[in-house]
Amino acid sequence: MTELHPRFAGRAAFAPPADYRLLPCRFLALDDHRVVVTNEVGEHVVMTRDQLRTFAGRTLATCEPLYRELKAKHFLFDDESRAALDLLALKVRTRRAAVARLTGLHIFVVTLRCDHSCHYCQVSRQTEDKTRFDMTPAHADRALELVFASPSPAIKIEFQGGESLLNFALIRHVVIEAERRNASHRRDLQFVIASNLTQIDDEILEFARDHRIYFSTSLDGPQDLHDANRPLRGASSYRAALDGVARIRAKLGPEFVSALMTTTPASLPRVTEIIDEYVRLGFHSIFLRSLSPYGFAVRTRLVRGYDITDWLAFYRRGLAHILELNRRGVRIREELTALLLGKMFSPSGTAYVDLQSPAGIAIGALVYNYDGKIYASDEGRMLAEMGDHSFCLGSLDDQTFASVMTNDTLHGMLEDSLPESAPMCSDCAFLPWCGADPTFHQATQRDVVGHKAFSAFCAKQMAVLRHLVTLLEDDPEAARILRSWI
Amino acid sequence: MAAALTDGAIQVVLDLRVYRLTAIQKTAYRLADRVTVVLGVIAGELAPGGDQLPATLQFKPGTSEPAAREVARQFYQELLDQELREQIADQTNAVRTLILAHAFSNADLIKRGDRGERGE
Repeated sequence: MTELHPRFAGRAAFAPPADYRLLPCRFLALDDHRVVVTNEVGEHVVMTRDQLRTFAGRTLATCEPLYRELKAKHFLFDDESRAALDLLALKVRTRRAAVARLTGLHIFVVTLRCDHSCHYCQVSRQTEDKTRFDMTPAHADRALELVFASPSPAIKIEFQGGESLLNFALIRHVVIEAERRNASHRRDLQFVIASNLTQIDDEILEFARDHRIYFSTSLDGPQDLHDANRPLRGASSYRAALDGVARIRAKLGPEFVSALMTTTPASLPRVTEIIDEYVRLGFHSIFLRSLSPYGFAVRTRLVRGYDITDWLAFYRRGLAHILELNRRGVRIREELTALLLGKMFSPSGTAYVDLQSPAGIAIGALVYNYDGKIYASDEGRMLAEMGDHSFCLGSLDDQTFASVMTNDTLHGMLEDSLPESAPMCSDCAFLPWCGADPTFHQATQRDVVGHKAFSAFCAKQMAVLRHLVTLLEDDPEAARILRSWI
Repeated sequence: MAAALTDGAIQVVLDLRVYRLTAIQKTAYRLADRVTVVLGVIAGELAPGGDQLPATLQFKPGTSEPAAREVARQFYQELLDQELREQIADQTNAVRTLILAHAFSNADLIKRGDRGERGE
């Protein structure tokens, strides 16, 4: 194409005056020169500050590529795009549809007994021989009544502990009873056992195979790191976990077992080793999880062993290593990143309970504790073990699903913590990709809303999301890999 | 622009014709981890009304002059952003309400006919 003579103004100068209106949007500085702008449904555009002022001042020329991008992504509408409002409303509705389906995740804490003594344990485990820390079959049956009273078409029952397999008899009872009830309810029913796998045997494996039960275990990295984090009297927790993983893969198939890691101070300099260990063991995903401020992690002050800045450096190094592995053809993804990318690019967002608006407490997950108490979140019962019962919604002895869902305290917490009305969150560009975490803020600030300027949750979300948007904008190869994880 | 750091504080005067009070308050809230912003008070006395709003940027003990001036710069930068956010909100609040109303106008918020085992 022929260049215009410098005496002539550019095409934009001759465009007809723009007559467009802005659609709701929020912006945030990405770096010194650029901002990221998002709309109500999480679509985003990165632009310079000058471009933002031009756009907001409604003086952007219609022939600019940015105009077309903003119009296509529903940041503005003009006389030619009146259908934009209908489309945007439809997208809003799609994104919020999950709220009406109510609780899909139901966590049964079948025992608080455990054979491990992990320094970062979030649930204040009890020693193995105290059977008074087991859930009773009567409470399990009452919990199942609540499970099937939820209108959710997809039900996931997750067994947790302590070490859940120390009460395998109750797991067996719940699975068989749930399947019996589901013959008439016809929900998409799934079971997951969270376990350190020390107790696994042929009987458990055969039952799991027959009922298509998934396993989620802990793997903190190489053996010395894992065993230091997760002491097991007289044995190696690492060897037990690996043995269990191998047996599940052989009996049920590789997709039936996944692993989670927790970042301790000892993990910080070893992120590439941890990731390489996951790859070596045949896992295709890793969740680089920071410590949570609950249970033994607080009592042992382990949670103060590093701050969010240290974890963010760990995460960035880890993600860079994972992207490099992907470039070399190794299939592995980072789960927090994948969850956030889902929020950024999927029309329906993600079901991850900790990143929902309204918060995922109770309406995303319910927890039935070993003692019959009902909690609005897994972290809520962890907080209760520390003496804060804010998230307790009563007892299985006298509550119904309807009474839990209409609990005034729950509604108060959901309303107060709603990001759309929370200070700082309400005008944050990352709002559509983020969520409320009232349990974290109750634990750290004694307030379900929390002052976000002092919030490690907010600092983590902001830094990770800025990093991801920057990668998507500035590194085409990384962007290609990241988009393949959605 | 900001004056010097004196007794751990920087005094500024904000023009309410340029920045609306909501934007100033949101800026103060957002920077609360770095500085406490006291609005409308000079040396313990309420400032007179009008278009000028005095503000004291009160820093934590031991904050150096360069660090304080950097936070003051961030304060003014954030003020501009907050003011722009208010301008965008002015233009879009009505249409946001319209879109949300339209999105949920057909939603049946009470699911009927799926009663639990105890008649829930």
